Amino acid sequence: MPEFKIQHVTRYTYDSLVRDSANQITLFPIVDIYQDVLKHDLHITGNPLVDTHIDYYGNEVGNFTYVERHKELVISSEVLVNTHHKPLPTDEAPAEQQWQALAALQYIVPYIDFLKQEYFEGIDELRTIVEAERQSGDTPYQTALQFCEYVYKNFEYIKGVTTVETKLDEIWKLKAGVCQDFAHILMEMLRLLGIPARYVSGYICPNRGGMRGDGATHAWAEAYIPDYGWLGIDPTNNCIANETHVRLAVGRNFSDCSPVKGIYKGLSGHKLEVGVAVEYKDGKTTGKPEKISPAFPASGSLAATFTQNSYQQYKQNLLEQQQAAQQQ
Amino acid sequence: MYQSAHFNQYNAISGVWDEMYDANANIRDHYRKVIDYLAKESPDDLNKKEDLARRLFMSQGITFTVYNSGEGIEKIFPFDIIPRIITGDEWAFVEKGIKQRLTALNLFLKDVYHNQFIIKDGVVPIDVIYSCPHFLREMYKLDVPYDIYVHIAGIDLIRDEQGTFYVLEDNLRTPSGVSYMLENREITKRLFPDLLPTCNVRSVTEYPTILYKNLQSLSPRQNSNPTIVLLSPGIYNSAYFEHTTLARLMGVELVEGRDLVVHNHKVFMKTTTGLQQVDVIYRRVDDDFLDPLVFNPSSILGVAGIMSAYRKGNVAIVNAIGNGVADDKAIYSYVPDMIKYYLNEEPILKNVPTHQLRHPDELAYVFQNINKMVVKKTNESGGYGMLMGHAASEQEIEDYKKEILKDPRNFIAQPTISLSAAPCYIQGTLQPRRIDLRPYALCGPDGIEIVPGGLTRVALKEGSLVVNSSQGGGSKDTWVLA
Repeated sequence: MPEFKIQHVTRYTYDSLVRDSANQITLFPIVDIYQDVLKHDLHITGNPLVDTHIDYYGNEVGNFTYVERHKELVISSEVLVNTHHKPLPTDEAPAEQQWQALAALQYIVPYIDFLKQEYFEGIDELRTIVEAERQSGDTPYQTALQFCEYVYKNFEYIKGVTTVETKLDEIWKLKAGVCQDFAHILMEMLRLLGIPARYVSGYICPNRGGMRGDGATHAWAEAYIPDYGWLGIDPTNNCIANETHVRLAVGRNFSDCSPVKGIYKGLSGHKLEVGVAVEYKDGKTTGKPEKISPAFPASGSLAATFTQNSYQQYKQNLLEQQQAAQQQ
Repeated sequence: MYQSAHFNQYNAISGVWDEMYDANANIRDHYRKVIDYLAKESPDDLNKKEDLARRLFMSQGITFTVYNSGEGIEKIFPFDIIPRIITGDEWAFVEKGIKQRLTALNLFLKDVYHNQFIIKDGVVPIDVIYSCPHFLREMYKLDVPYDIYVHIAGIDLIRDEQGTFYVLEDNLRTPSGVSYMLENREITKRLFPDLLPTCNVRSVTEYPTILYKNLQSLSPRQNSNPTIVLLSPGIYNSAYFEHTTLARLMGVELVEGRDLVVHNHKVFMKTTTGLQQVDVIYRRVDDDFLDPLVFNPSSILGVAGIMSAYRKGNVAIVNAIGNGVADDKAIYSYVPDMIKYYLNEEPILKNVPTHQLRHPDELAYVFQNINKMVVKKTNESGGYGMLMGHAASEQEIEDYKKEILKDPRNFIAQPTISLSAAPCYIQGTLQPRRIDLRPYALCGPDGIEIVPGGLTRVALKEGSLVVNSSQGGGSKDTWVLA
């Protein structure tokens, strides 16, 4: 029964004052028989009123706004979690019967959402691979593990080559990425075979084990196994996601589970730093706040005159396009 | 028969329901008074009236916007001076039918966002709903005041060769055009001041009053004077004229997204004297643009955080978010089943037979008979992105077929319905032109109210069946007789 104290800090810094910031946080660990939350402290710049609700996927989601002008927004979430080992599938039923059980889920809520394939250019190529990799007679469980290993072996773990917005097309071309890209590809492979697959965001707590994704937020996939339920599989580490993985949220994809997202009004760009530190019962701590390159380069020269301002033109066009697009 | 030059040339289109003439070329009773009156007017007088109407529209700035035309985008909505007349009996039927349909659609929205009985019972296929981009999972289990989702509906009706009314589409998101219903009536009062009372035409002017009353009743605060705003995308929107008109007629603030801010899960309007809490938002901004935090992050028209204020019940939003799942053209085919399912009644208004192109056999059938079909995108309105099989060139048909094959779910096809025709005053003569009808239904805690009238759109091009203003259509005043 491992116990983890996880500190997750998200820090936005702005070059000049911004205001009217609205944010959504999905930082509340899932509570079920395999995971308890003993304590959760949330500290946010300006102490805004955080309202939480349960979303469509069953995740607890918080919302807050920070209207006053500010140059920094820090969201610090400290959780004390207990996890329990989830027994693995016994996988006794005949393979064919299991595949039939999955086929029957195709038009059932919520599985329908977790079976929808995302169209991308490489889909035919991936379909060929999926057919080639799958061993006839394998159960969904065996297939899921097989695919997990395939992603682990054929994709390179490189930080910084992708962002949270990178689409399948690009991941496919790069054959590289980080945890969310690995999870994304694995989900697509599973869905191609009719195995419901969902995205999981959370933390990895390997203690002295040393695993990829340590010191940051982590992501993996869950496959639906007949007579068992959702099985966590981590293609970044080629392992079953079990008591070392703390789950924050599940969804169809990254954007359903985005741990922190926000919108603000202001002229300047922002710098984002995210750090996750895990403290173990034996006193060891791993991870420290890690700098992530700014999503938007900072800019801001004043008092210059331009003969042509393409940016302003672009903004104006965007405004006109959006206004024009609303009609019935 | 009438001898004046502009009337005896009227030739009803054969095989088409004519609103003025019956099958034996006799003028229908309800058109008689108007035609008698007009027959006495010289063409010169009528030309003057037509010219006056044009000048009134121009001076009052009653305009709309056409996209993709490459010319100046703001246009006067062409107005035909001859009213379209509906009898009291016809109206009673239409009114009953719309109320029934809207009741069912409202129940459907409540159901798909809560228990989903209709999906579990297999009445509406789950994949049609779950593949609809307007089915918003953010609305799941979110309660809206009085369970009303569709506060304002613009249900488009047409009539076939026999004069039977059909529903062409349900507009349940941000239906537009009601300001033209109001303005057309104002213009008619100026053109023919004595005709309206003599003909016993029912009034439409209560529309803003009823809408205001309904908006007021949705206020979450127990406050006799709630703050109601009309949220417009801004001046580049085709219906901006309408937004200003409705805000003025109701006496509510006209705002854009940048005028509002969310603080502690309440919506505030920025005023010269500080922040003022907003209770009810009549929004004319689409769902996807309403909250950049939750929906389209690139939206600059919305208000970040508004969804959380809505979820907490601190602000009422009209129409509700997520209604697009009920007026999606792929869902349309199932509306008669919804009426039976929820109300245990037979549908009063008919649906146009609709082929779902996601079914391969229906796709094949439509491709074979494409010359007799109208093919539409399920998620577009305003006459954009549709193919009129009988009028399209070979090349257009081939290109459109390719487009369909990319994602058949996004298309439906309907047989070309020969819309009814009504007399229009065109170049000094009366000529038949095809029309439709969009009545505006308002749903509040006291029930559904429909002002007797609506927007009659006219396909002004001879032979055309497309009435959309974006495609060269105009409009007429619509009279419902007492």
